[in-house]
Amino acid sequence: MRLGRGALVGSTALLGLLAGGALAVGTAGWGLGEGGALALLRFPRVLAAVAAGAALGIGGATQQGLFRNPLADPGLTGVFGGALLGMALLLGLAPTFAWAHAWSLPAAAFAGALGVSGLLVLLGRDGPPARLLLTGLGLNAFAAAGTLLIANLAPESRELLLNGSFGDWLGMASPELIARPALLCLLAGGLLLTLARPLDLLALGEAAAQTAGCDLRRLRRRAIILTALAAAAATCLVGQMAFVGLLAPHLARALVGPRHALVLPLAATLGAILLLTADTVGRAALPGTPLSAAAVMALIGAPLFVWIARRPHG
Amino acid sequence: MADLVLQLGLLAYEQAGRRLLDGVGLTLAPGEGVALVGTNGAGKTTLLRAAAGLLPAATGTIRATGLDPRTAPPAASARRRLYLEQQPSCAWDQTVAELGALAGRPAAWAEWADRLALTALADRPLASLSGGERQAAHLARVFASLEEPYGALLLLDEPTTALDQARRATVRQATRAWTQAGAAVLVATHDAAWAATFPRVVVLEEGRLIADGPPGATLTDALVRTVWGGPAA
Repeated sequence: MRLGRGALVGSTALLGLLAGGALAVGTAGWGLGEGGALALLRFPRVLAAVAAGAALGIGGATQQGLFRNPLADPGLTGVFGGALLGMALLLGLAPTFAWAHAWSLPAAAFAGALGVSGLLVLLGRDGPPARLLLTGLGLNAFAAAGTLLIANLAPESRELLLNGSFGDWLGMASPELIARPALLCLLAGGLLLTLARPLDLLALGEAAAQTAGCDLRRLRRRAIILTALAAAAATCLVGQMAFVGLLAPHLARALVGPRHALVLPLAATLGAILLLTADTVGRAALPGTPLSAAAVMALIGAPLFVWIARRPHG
Repeated sequence: MADLVLQLGLLAYEQAGRRLLDGVGLTLAPGEGVALVGTNGAGKTTLLRAAAGLLPAATGTIRATGLDPRTAPPAASARRRLYLEQQPSCAWDQTVAELGALAGRPAAWAEWADRLALTALADRPLASLSGGERQAAHLARVFASLEEPYGALLLLDEPTTALDQARRATVRQATRAWTQAGAAVLVATHDAAWAATFPRVVVLEEGRLIADGPPGATLTDALVRTVWGGPAA
């Protein structure tokens, strides 16, 4: 049964409730603090989780639609790894410049994500679904190795980069750090919504889509650039994060069917719900020993990934 | 010549060093229905793909509905030049109705779903259908996309192989009706009986056009033996 637009309204309301709950809970337990002081401190972190989760969800839905591959996820196919490597390169080569120019780190993340996305298309597009995933995993491993190498060579950025590769940057969220990446998440997400119709046609395969009026080159170019932008902005907020971009589109399609006009916005709200929940659970479940959102997400996501991989896909 | 719906001249295409099309020349005027026959690997699918604009590396002249489909924007003739591939597919296990919605013309889809006996299957996922039902659903989507038959081009690659008798008859009747309404229809088929009902049959062999004319002249006993292994039904 398809739920239609009701799912979008319901998930947005749920996200609002969860965000309210996330503002009221922390490692110290429940409470908003005196005059809402604690909630105010938590606000950037909650906003960062929502913005990054939404970007991951819509980016994953776009990548799955573009490659017609249910296992595509920017976190697993190396796009995040590329974004982090881009940031690592900048921090390793020109740390003073990086911290002096607020746009430089998101720009470096975008360049890295775009580089991996381009390679992914060149090397893994055609062929069985496993080829794309294996290509992505290879690129991801290469990018991770590059990031670790730079982290070892640049001791002043080492802890930052290691935390990023474990998806543990949400704890650093401050209004100054998250403003630009959050805006970029919004921008990328809004522009990705315009790809709904061509992504629908692409479900028919490249030949049928093209003869039905879909400009494949234009779609591919825009989808890759905007997915890289969403992944780069999300990486700036949270670090490397797998599974959100995989699970959110699957949940969205299960709720509303395959039409991207609904799948894309719903994958965004569900991605925000997933990441916000993972972060809130991670910092509240074990008081005093917070888990990163990426670790919680992997605990939920890995079994589901195996389940999705075993399902038949039409 | 200006009003020809399809014009192919010295069409050639190579893949991995093998010449799949070799100097093919073919024209279709409005209202012409043509059966394209030949053995497996003769080049039928490649010719249809080239006419649909799916082989940018093909050389020679290609004009379809007044445009070169290799370079024209895909949206320019999406509702004037329809193509149904041999083995259509659809990701995300859509239902029949969701596939139909991709045609973007709900009333036309409803009509074709009815004619091809798909209405009762509207909420069924495509993966749960038989091969013939799935082929009918893809045919209905393509047929529903056609806005105005006159001067349009339909390129159908073995569209009835999996269909039952009733649906097959519907498709044959539809292609006749479209040619009567001024569309040009080019159908690749291994169905000898159907090919013999077209006023014109084109025969391909190893990428070359070896015969073009009425079925009585083109579907010779030798050809029928080569392609079908016996007399035409």
